[in-house]
Amino acid sequence: MLVAVKGATIYPVGGNPVDGGVLLVEGGKIKAVGAAQAIPVPAGAEVIDASGKVVLPGLVDAHAHVGLWGEWYGQAESDGNEMGDPVTPEVRAIDAVWPDHSSFADARSGGVTTLQTTPGSGNAIGGEMLVVKTDSAGKTAEEIVLRCPSGMKAALGENVKRAYGQGFKKRPATRMGTAAVIRQALSKARDYQRKLELGKEDPSRLPDTDLGLLSLVKVLNREMPLRIHAHRADDIVTAVRLAEEFGLDYSIEHCTDGAAVAGFLGSRGARVNVGPTFGGRSKIETRPLHFRNAGILAKAGCKVSVISDHPFVAIPFLSLCAALSCAEGMPEEEALRAVTLTPAETLGVADRVGSLEPGKDADFVVWSGHPFKIRSKVERVYVEGRLVYQA
Amino acid sequence: MLIIKGGRVLTACRPGGPVSPVIDGGVILVEAGKIRAVGGPDLPVPPGCESMDATGCVVTPGLIDAHSHIGIYEDGVGWEGNDVNEGTDPNTADVRALDGINPADTAFAEALEGGVTTVQVMPGSANVIGGEVVTIKCIGSVVDDMVLRRPTGLKAALGENPKRAYGSQRKRPSTRMGNAAVMRAALSKGRDYLRKLEIAAEKPDKRPDIDLRMEMIAKVLRREIPLRVHAHRADDILTALRIADEFGINISLEHTTDGSKVAKLLAGRGIPCMTGPLGGPRTKLETRDKGPHVPGILAAAGVKIAIITDHPVIPQQWLRITAGLAVREGLPEDAALAACTRDAAEIIGVADRVGTLEPGKDADMVIWDGDPFEYLTKACRVFVDGRTAYCRRGEPCLPELGVTGGCGQC
Repeated sequence: MLVAVKGATIYPVGGNPVDGGVLLVEGGKIKAVGAAQAIPVPAGAEVIDASGKVVLPGLVDAHAHVGLWGEWYGQAESDGNEMGDPVTPEVRAIDAVWPDHSSFADARSGGVTTLQTTPGSGNAIGGEMLVVKTDSAGKTAEEIVLRCPSGMKAALGENVKRAYGQGFKKRPATRMGTAAVIRQALSKARDYQRKLELGKEDPSRLPDTDLGLLSLVKVLNREMPLRIHAHRADDIVTAVRLAEEFGLDYSIEHCTDGAAVAGFLGSRGARVNVGPTFGGRSKIETRPLHFRNAGILAKAGCKVSVISDHPFVAIPFLSLCAALSCAEGMPEEEALRAVTLTPAETLGVADRVGSLEPGKDADFVVWSGHPFKIRSKVERVYVEGRLVYQA
Repeated sequence: MLIIKGGRVLTACRPGGPVSPVIDGGVILVEAGKIRAVGGPDLPVPPGCESMDATGCVVTPGLIDAHSHIGIYEDGVGWEGNDVNEGTDPNTADVRALDGINPADTAFAEALEGGVTTVQVMPGSANVIGGEVVTIKCIGSVVDDMVLRRPTGLKAALGENPKRAYGSQRKRPSTRMGNAAVMRAALSKGRDYLRKLEIAAEKPDKRPDIDLRMEMIAKVLRREIPLRVHAHRADDILTALRIADEFGINISLEHTTDGSKVAKLLAGRGIPCMTGPLGGPRTKLETRDKGPHVPGILAAAGVKIAIITDHPVIPQQWLRITAGLAVREGLPEDAALAACTRDAAEIIGVADRVGTLEPGKDADMVIWDGDPFEYLTKACRVFVDGRTAYCRRGEPCLPELGVTGGCGQC
């Protein structure tokens, strides 16, 4: 089945916008995209007239808690933080993600077609996360997975020390303690990794199975990154210190105070997932919150994704966060990339999603106008060529 | 005297009145902090005035947020700056928002950056009767000097928040029935107090001891101020109306997430609705149906609305953005502007001072570099009482107040 979307201004991301362009879709994949003259519509193709509309890739949210907890049911659906132990690398978000949760429908209504849903920041090491498509209606978690696991959650700063130091009256009660707990866990995993190697030659030396350490070994082997929650500049630097000590692939989550250490992060080409920004400054560590942060970090050389952190900013407003980042100095092209191709790269799924180019999944959104115009609406959302939302 | 000329002036006045709602190339004449005249390009102006060219810009009244916790729920401070709920008794009619507002809250500077010049500051919704509401301007270092009017209401709350706050302490109220009973008991006691005051007017020796809570509730019963009732769910909205009818008091409804389900009834009764916060997460079951579509439905039914941020739920400076989202979802543009200017002022009870650009009103104005609802638009200059309170150029604006505005980009 061949489908041709015709007449729209197409922002493929990673290439120039095309007025009156054509997007050809076959078998759920993009077959061609470009100017009408260059791409003849084959006879027999189903034509979707999108004249006067704007077509973009489905948005990608690098950090959300969709399906894991949140919005209104309270404790009954609160499955984001397995509290009680500050180190829980053995827990997996896939075991809690609820495809029928209304937040998936919210994501579709905002033009978000791919997202990473992650455990919270109550624990120093919080568990495995995953990347999913949002066309979840009637599907299992396995059926929407794009990458699993896609990272291991870690957290620095106020949340962990509040939960353990004040709440459980145990370690970690300080920022030093939080770093120590993470370092201990990674160090233990390194020993475990060594024992696994020895066990390969002599199975009698294989250590007992430890699901948490097995998961952290994947982090040490750079099979998945450590994704480290850090707001304050010194927490951000601690995150980098830990990641570099163990030679990890990493991303900085939130990075609220990132502008203060933009040069440090930029010189490393760090991957930073910035947000939630359309909300209050609820904690001291979020005091530097400002929409100019994303633009400053991008200019410094970071790979910046703008995130919702749903439910902290409701996921339909991801595009709003990109627009206000643009208003505060991030160039338009960069701001569009920050909710499409850059997060796809950061999540390790850019071979499948994040831009409109031949061979990628046909995940695209028909907007009534440019998403950085406030009156523009998401009109139709397609995942792998199938219509999954219509206004 | 100051003249602003050349801009597209959106006065927020009603059509058919002496001042047109939209004046292209409009001229605004300001004297002694007040608007003296508003007119077209031909408006005669006295010679020798300071003149500001707003050509290519849009000029609106300073925006008004009719429901905010700015200053009493400080930004970026956490527990130490959170003075929004005196959550120790379900009736705290004797507390006053005025006593909890910190003018040094950094959110005030951002409010001005977003064109917000007047805010109605309320206690929170943990208590059934939360305390006195005050309306202030967004600039100053002494809160008493910032006051535009006090009191402008008494805060009350129904629904999940009070029953959660007290039910979790195993105290009344722990149900919606309990919420209503606490509210009724307070008003009923207030009625007795009022009766005793009336008796004492003739027989001074019968005067009851002063009860600060009852003094406040008496103001509501005398209809000097409205009860401003937090209500999300449709049944909570109807409970508020029921109690208002029983005691013959004026109310406004705060949040009205489910207002669209009873919009015709609210319009018929002439009950003003503060809709919002729009665009944030649905944090509770009672906010399940929230969204920027609500104001459009209410306005279409004929309800008088104000769009609110509920700062810090939506940060103060984004009032214009949430109004823009309401426009996207069907609220007419003039109604959206009115909902954060003229109608907000009328609902608060300060329309004699602010809310429109017309002669005699405070010279609270915003010069925008484009459509005020658009993401990419910015306020170039904001005036409060005729003085520059914020300027994007970054020049020190009111140095005596420690206010320096702007990003230095324009």
